[in-house]
Amino acid sequence: MSEEFEPNIVAFLCNWCSYAGADLAGTSRTQYLPNIKIIRVMCSGRVNPLFLLNALQQGADGVLISGCHPGDCHYLEGNFYARRRFMLMHKLLEHVGVDPGRVNMSWVSASEGVKFKDVIEEVVTSVKEAGPMDQFRRRQLNW
Amino acid sequence: MVDLKELQDKAKEVISRDDVRRLIGWQRGTYGFESAPIVVTDASDADKLIFDPTCVQNPASFITLEEKRPVPRGQEPDTRKVAVMVKGCDSRAIVQQLVEKAYPRENVIVMGMPCRGVIDRRKAAALFGDVTPDEVKLDGDKVVVSLNSETKELARGDILADKCMRCRYPNPLVSDELMTEEVEKWGADEFADVDEFEKMSPADKWKFWEEQFSKCIRCYSCRNVCPMCYCVECVVAKLKPQWTRRSTDISENAAYHVQRAWHLSGRCIECMECQRVCPVDIPIMTLNRKMTRDVKEMFDYEPGVDVEAEPLLACYNPQDPEDYIM
Repeated sequence: MSEEFEPNIVAFLCNWCSYAGADLAGTSRTQYLPNIKIIRVMCSGRVNPLFLLNALQQGADGVLISGCHPGDCHYLEGNFYARRRFMLMHKLLEHVGVDPGRVNMSWVSASEGVKFKDVIEEVVTSVKEAGPMDQFRRRQLNW
Repeated sequence: MVDLKELQDKAKEVISRDDVRRLIGWQRGTYGFESAPIVVTDASDADKLIFDPTCVQNPASFITLEEKRPVPRGQEPDTRKVAVMVKGCDSRAIVQQLVEKAYPRENVIVMGMPCRGVIDRRKAAALFGDVTPDEVKLDGDKVVVSLNSETKELARGDILADKCMRCRYPNPLVSDELMTEEVEKWGADEFADVDEFEKMSPADKWKFWEEQFSKCIRCYSCRNVCPMCYCVECVVAKLKPQWTRRSTDISENAAYHVQRAWHLSGRCIECMECQRVCPVDIPIMTLNRKMTRDVKEMFDYEPGVDVEAEPLLACYNPQDPEDYIM
């Protein structure tokens, strides 16, 4: 009897919207899946696509980047830059053969606690479908 | 056809000017079907310059290589110009460097060489083996190779590089003076190779790349030769934080190649130097071409064409596509 695969997902949440949204989900006792490990960043525009690669190398099965809705960025335009970047990174990883379900992006505002829960559910489902990530994982720990 | 005498005289004239420090061009290579780059600093060296289908190197790569050392107090920095000979594809590198403000436009003198194609050394080696030809020239639609006092005519597709068969910019897009008259455009780029690759399933794609990336010895030739890779400190060489470890296992190799392609998205001008210099024959351009195609489709942007353009990832459009975003 093999246990069901529980993915490890790294979520980069922006301080002003998505992190507050996750906070709201918590304070209003909305249960969301415990597969995500949240990393708070000041803006989704702060997330360097190398973070994503590094997460996949270090054992994450999927990645979520979440920020304010377009036009609502605390820094006015950070999420527009992030959108371009991750659109390209998503396509590139797909081209290399990484399942597109592993790289996710969403817009969650501070008032969308329920949407946050739904997003997490969706991400976990798509990463579960993709299975464990062993393409990029570091195999040798000493180099 | 290029008149070499005229070209060398012109180069002599340019290098003799007081405000020109050096001229970068091509000279006869020592073996095989490739020329070698040359940096001319003295008018007497200008006689070595050539231009023929073996001139495959991209001289635009050398402009940004120069170290900018601090000048001792009391001395003036050397502000003399660099003259560079460019083919059509190389000129796009210069345009893109200007877009990124790598150096001011007035620091370079661009000598445009309209070009009708260059030779792919791998194709040539498959046809002729490990030999050095006496002369290679283009005659109409044929490539004429003189070897051991015999001449052989070849169709262009048999020996010219793939990039030349789909070349859309045979004439330099930026130049202070054209050395020969402009040539006619012949190619069109439909990205058929990218479409073909995309038909594969994700598992097959990874199988293909796993095999290719495993070959990589991380010599960083592809980075060093790239005209767009001119960061003073490359992210793969950084130790704090160290994004990619130096071991050559599949994880680090894959991460390196994804990083490389990612850093060139919206910047790669398809001179295909990376693929040419790869010692283990990794089809690096397959990644770059995918990015070029997507950038064109999604953002209607083509790098290295317009000097006035903004760099792709330094600007945005509120109407950008976001079809995978939840």
